[in-house]
Amino acid sequence: MARRTKIHVGLEIGTSKTCIVVGEVKPDGAVKILGIGVTKSAGVRKGEISDFPQARACLKDALARAEDSSDVEIGSVFLSVTGAHMQGVNNRGIFRLPNNHEAIEFEHLEEAREMARDVHYPADHASLHTIVRRYLVDGLEQTASPIGLFAKTVEVDFHIVHGISNRIQNSIKLVRECPLEVDDIVFAPIATAQMALDREQRLRGALLIDIGGGTTDYALYLDGSIAASGCIPVGGDHVTNDIHLVTGLPFSKAEKLKILEGNASSDPALSVGIAKLTDENGFADVEVKRAILNEIIRQRLEETLLLVKERLPLGAVESIGAGIYLTGGTSLMRGFSELAFDVFGRDIYRPETPENSDLAHPSFKDPQFATAIGLIRYAQIIETETQRPPGFFGKILRLFWPFGR
Amino acid sequence: MISYSRDPKQEIPTSSVKILGLGGAGANMLERIALDSQEGAQLVSLNTDMRTLSASLAKEKIQLGITLTKGLGTGGDPELGQRAVLEAEAEVRNVLKDQKIVFLCVGLGGGTGSGAAPIIARIAREEGAFVIVFATMPFLFEGSRRREQAETALNQLAVLSNALVTFDNNRMGELVLAKQGIHEAFGAADKMISESIKAVIRLVVRPGLIHVGLDELITALRTTRSRCLFGSGIADGKDRASKALRNALSSPLLDQGALLKDAQSVLVHLSGGESLTLFDIELLMQSLQKHVPDQAQLLFGAAIDSSMGDNLSITLISSLPEEALVSSPSTTQSTPTTKPVKHIPRPVEPPEPKRPILKLPEKIITEPRQPKLIDDIFNDQENVAPKPTAVQTPELELPAKPVAPPHQIAIEPVVKSDIPLPEVARPETYERPFAEPELIPTQPPQASIAKHEARPEPPIIASSPPAQVEQPNPEIPVVPVQNEPSAPLPREPKVDLASSFQLKIDPKNPADQDELSFKKTPRGRFEGENPNVLDGEDLDLPPFLRKKK
Repeated sequence: MARRTKIHVGLEIGTSKTCIVVGEVKPDGAVKILGIGVTKSAGVRKGEISDFPQARACLKDALARAEDSSDVEIGSVFLSVTGAHMQGVNNRGIFRLPNNHEAIEFEHLEEAREMARDVHYPADHASLHTIVRRYLVDGLEQTASPIGLFAKTVEVDFHIVHGISNRIQNSIKLVRECPLEVDDIVFAPIATAQMALDREQRLRGALLIDIGGGTTDYALYLDGSIAASGCIPVGGDHVTNDIHLVTGLPFSKAEKLKILEGNASSDPALSVGIAKLTDENGFADVEVKRAILNEIIRQRLEETLLLVKERLPLGAVESIGAGIYLTGGTSLMRGFSELAFDVFGRDIYRPETPENSDLAHPSFKDPQFATAIGLIRYAQIIETETQRPPGFFGKILRLFWPFGR
Repeated sequence: MISYSRDPKQEIPTSSVKILGLGGAGANMLERIALDSQEGAQLVSLNTDMRTLSASLAKEKIQLGITLTKGLGTGGDPELGQRAVLEAEAEVRNVLKDQKIVFLCVGLGGGTGSGAAPIIARIAREEGAFVIVFATMPFLFEGSRRREQAETALNQLAVLSNALVTFDNNRMGELVLAKQGIHEAFGAADKMISESIKAVIRLVVRPGLIHVGLDELITALRTTRSRCLFGSGIADGKDRASKALRNALSSPLLDQGALLKDAQSVLVHLSGGESLTLFDIELLMQSLQKHVPDQAQLLFGAAIDSSMGDNLSITLISSLPEEALVSSPSTTQSTPTTKPVKHIPRPVEPPEPKRPILKLPEKIITEPRQPKLIDDIFNDQENVAPKPTAVQTPELELPAKPVAPPHQIAIEPVVKSDIPLPEVARPETYERPFAEPELIPTQPPQASIAKHEARPEPPIIASSPPAQVEQPNPEIPVVPVQNEPSAPLPREPKVDLASSFQLKIDPKNPADQDELSFKKTPRGRFEGENPNVLDGEDLDLPPFLRKKK
């Protein structure tokens, strides 16, 4: 069947900024970004909405900008969510085939999937993603569907992301009030990984760490499938707050100091002297010892990376072959890759520092948009995965399925 | 070249050191020692309960009360324990023959432990050994009866042993976190005891650069009616001198070194690897001076042990002097005594010294059973009683432990009474500290001795406790310089200690402290939000500030 060009929109309501990316998926699968609308966020803390009216105003502003720049009327979006309540867990379902059956049938697989999906999470949680990691047929790994193979047992490994359902519902409500329709909700690091990691990197094993304003999201891919994901409620805001608390500077100055002068590397040579900010008149406005400033930043970021490392499954860091990919605004911090290397001891990849991080003229390369752009890739992948049985990605998706099966 | 080996005569061979584990708790301690120690001291397990005895790791095992309890326990009855050990006395005596040092590990409160320990201690003394008793006191929740049994036994042991180290189970909380498993708590207590024993053995057995031996040890523990203060710490690294001292002082038996303030003599033994420097020692002794009174006698020893590597270990041994023990009860005696004893659960160390003397008279008066037992047998042996005191240099034995002679005899069957006499006398002349009469006789006034000697008959039990209480009064004027500071001192810290302990009980668990910090510290942008707690740390606070603490 010939494919049409399809336009997808990704929406990320982040702690520091709300961003909408409009992308066009060409028939050959190429993605073209048509426009980006971005505003500073308000009323969002640690990835979760704390003030609805403010967040709604920001969303409307971002929507207007995105429609302006892309010249597209936006009706529905893919929404990314995050927050400390989101958790990714792995589970395995095992099904032993009945005696009179020799080959795996669809029902058997469904049975195994049912068992794998049956993860114990708190009553107020709802599962957001149930992603098949792999199948095992009599203990032998199968990446594709094993239906029709001869076997005694079939196992399914799932990665399940769940979070507090009411909070997720509230994010959806905010978008609906705009009014926008929500195509699908995606856990932020999984969306980001779609953009940041290609197939080969996932096969070799890669860890994506997205350090944003209020949260640090991570997703680990091993052998081509997701192995761990989660969110730590610490981000760039905390660095600013730390500088504020330790030095007593106001937030605006602390933020400026962090961006212009901060360095997360533990190299003592970089911690010599005094970091100064000058005001409009050229006078020294703020003076902080570099040793203190860098130490505050380094300790915070080191702790955050260690928290991520702690949450990874045992031995996972050693099996990362491709490396660690850092995105998010905070990953632009100077010396961050050295610090990340000290913590993980793996190759560190970091996006280039964009020439201007001006929100009025955003650049696509900017890691700040990784999640929103990743959402478009995610939408594209979902669209192409026609093999998936319906219902797997939720009812909403089926409504928007353009092609009949 | 002819190499001379050091004459090992003055050292005590390990073969003459025995560690006895008595009862169930004793067996546990023994197990720990067996697992820990490489010193090669011989372990002996004694128990009435055949089951625990057969599970014991000790080489020698003695079953007590073979016919009496028939391989079962005593069911918590000390009287049964007493009779059981008397049944096996010959065996016990045989095991203890020719031992220089005997460590007796016992958990007081139960039947076998409380009943048999005093008798075994006495037998060991009669066999000429230096007896160090490590006793654990029962938990508060085990009830007052067990506590009383334990205290009775403790009082007897204080008199009968050369040194008594008590460890209160209620203080176990100081060794481990509240969260940790119960076996870890008991393990920690046993470990502490095992370490103490090892330290004493190391001190006595190993030849040292600056040698301290049994004689110094006895001087440090000179006062027989006393509670031993013990602390040992080990550390390495740059700051090892002060770290090791800090570790040693943090021993629950020392109460952060506060109890050392009353000590008259403190034995300090250092051992380290070849890297031990004079500077280390100097540093350590300097900081130790802050905890020890100026007039206290410091017995210092140092040894090089290549197996220590980069470590430095320090062992502090002392005992609370008799005046400190006796003067404090005289102050509390006037007030009703029963309440504070039950009321203060934790601060066992500070009030402990005064309690035994307080309690002993009480118990003997209130409990009809105890005096009867002693009286009965005592009446049988009246004629024997004065003899040992008369044969020995009486000023030595009697003043220090006035209750001891009646008790010894109380337990002893008539047949035996002839044999121990010379043996009791022998160690006194053999061991040096007892041959240093200038030290001990100065403390108890001659008048009180006369009292004791004059009345060896049963009334002595009634009269002797008051005699003890009287003792301090004539004493204080005798050694005014030492006593005047030491007499008010115990009172002042005691008030502090009581309050500080009460404080300690609550804010002990770290969770409370964390909550405090949430309220107090500013949190900047995240002010007023729920604390972002992960692994007990508030992630919203700067790690820069958190880690510094």
